[in-house]
Amino acid sequence: MAIDFPSAEWTKAYMDVLNADPGYKVAGAPWTAGALTFVVKAEPTVGLNEDVAFILDVHQGVCRDARIASMEEGAKQPFVITGSYAQWKSVIRKELDPVKAMMQGKLKLKGNLPMIVRNVKAAQSLVENASKVDTRFLDE
Amino acid sequence: MSYDADLSFVFAHTPKVVFGARAADNVGDLASELGGQRAVIVTDAFLAEKTDLVKRLSKSLGSRLAGVFTGVIPDPTAPAVDEGAALARGLDADLLISLGGGSAIDTAKAMAVVLTEGGKILDHEGYHALTRRLTPHICVPTTAGTGSEMTLVTVITDPERGQKTFVGSHFLHPDVALLDPTFTTGMPARLTAATGMDAMSHAVEALVSTLRQPLSDAVALHAIELIAAHLPRALEAPDDLRARGQMLLAASLAGTAFSNAMVSLNHAMAHSLGALHHVHHGTLNAALLPHTMRLFAADVGDRFTRVASALGGATRGLSDEAAAHQAADLMQAFVHRVGLTTHLGELGVPEASLAQAAEMALSDGSIIYSPRPVMEPAEIEGLLRQAL
Repeated sequence: MAIDFPSAEWTKAYMDVLNADPGYKVAGAPWTAGALTFVVKAEPTVGLNEDVAFILDVHQGVCRDARIASMEEGAKQPFVITGSYAQWKSVIRKELDPVKAMMQGKLKLKGNLPMIVRNVKAAQSLVENASKVDTRFLDE
Repeated sequence: MSYDADLSFVFAHTPKVVFGARAADNVGDLASELGGQRAVIVTDAFLAEKTDLVKRLSKSLGSRLAGVFTGVIPDPTAPAVDEGAALARGLDADLLISLGGGSAIDTAKAMAVVLTEGGKILDHEGYHALTRRLTPHICVPTTAGTGSEMTLVTVITDPERGQKTFVGSHFLHPDVALLDPTFTTGMPARLTAATGMDAMSHAVEALVSTLRQPLSDAVALHAIELIAAHLPRALEAPDDLRARGQMLLAASLAGTAFSNAMVSLNHAMAHSLGALHHVHHGTLNAALLPHTMRLFAADVGDRFTRVASALGGATRGLSDEAAAHQAADLMQAFVHRVGLTTHLGELGVPEASLAQAAEMALSDGSIIYSPRPVMEPAEIEGLLRQAL
């Protein structure tokens, strides 16, 4: 059954998909730079009335934790990537390359950009796995 | 040249450009336009003490000049930026004027972030995370190569982590790029050649980057034509203001191109070899560029045909790949013509370091914009061996 994005259930499903993928274990192996926070900006037209943050604690090809968090906790992580609902939907559907989106300002990054770019294979694998989650988008 | 059906791009706006011989002598008027009453010049000790450039700016600024920060260093560090910002804050600065090459401009960009947002520069590392206008910034380049006057990024070294990091935002575009050829006539020949070839590399790499787009292509091609036509003259006659001016324009155009389309493998290798052997960045880009162009000859469609033409080639009747090889050969001849080398060995790069340099290049962020994926260190090492 399709899971609403964003939600705690979606975040947990994403973690499970990541940890079941041998490809991510390899692509993500070099990543030791800390957790990522993804912020989905509020979009009242689809029923998302507040910003939502979820933290993905990935380390050396393993997702150790994934959870919805407060904005305050999310902001404390080494990398915070913020985008509109529409942009995140495009990323999950593999219609928008997230690194290219950061360069174009469609996604906003707090944190060390070179570290993200150097780990582009891990980033690509994160997106590939996000697309595997059976997702129900709020505007559909 | 044409584009894919799924073309999607953003072309960032550029600063106000004021160009002309002795244009910088009117910097005071530009300061007033920006509301600057307490300007701080950001430069290095050499330019401050050994040239009259600060004096020329000061004369025009008059009472609007609050002070001069002379602590700019090559590859600006976070502590140097924070020191400059503290000085500027102490002077109640409302305008920054960078004077110098890329290091001075990047330092002033970063200082503007700290002055506006507070804290220290490393508190603000990120891309497109800034949310408001910064302290106004006029930049006055004294080299023609870096293109930083047109870009939305500042590159800062964090000595504690031993890493370079970025702050990038449309708010980092300087308000004014003041391009005055009389400010570049003092540049020594070798630096003129190396910075000019850095600009050439910016333009050529932007032209074939995976982020290429129509507007960046247009300015990249024009930059290549200007460099091909005027860099030799700027070397033959250093006081020729026309040649110096064309090179300033070319560097700014190339900066606009790569600020939007990025650079790729050539810069990735230059970054790694520069870190290992402390060879000038532009000199390395020049040495590597013809070899990199050959590597991608089959991957760039007709894009190098225009490069060949700019360099005096005749490509009529040639396949795209053959024209690309001709462009690479002509680029190699051009590098030699401006007094630089295309052999890394002549720059003191030992064969024993090539494997390490290849590994480092593979982890450089620029590499992902190469016209085709380059994922294997052996391929890069092979290219470096050809360039040895």
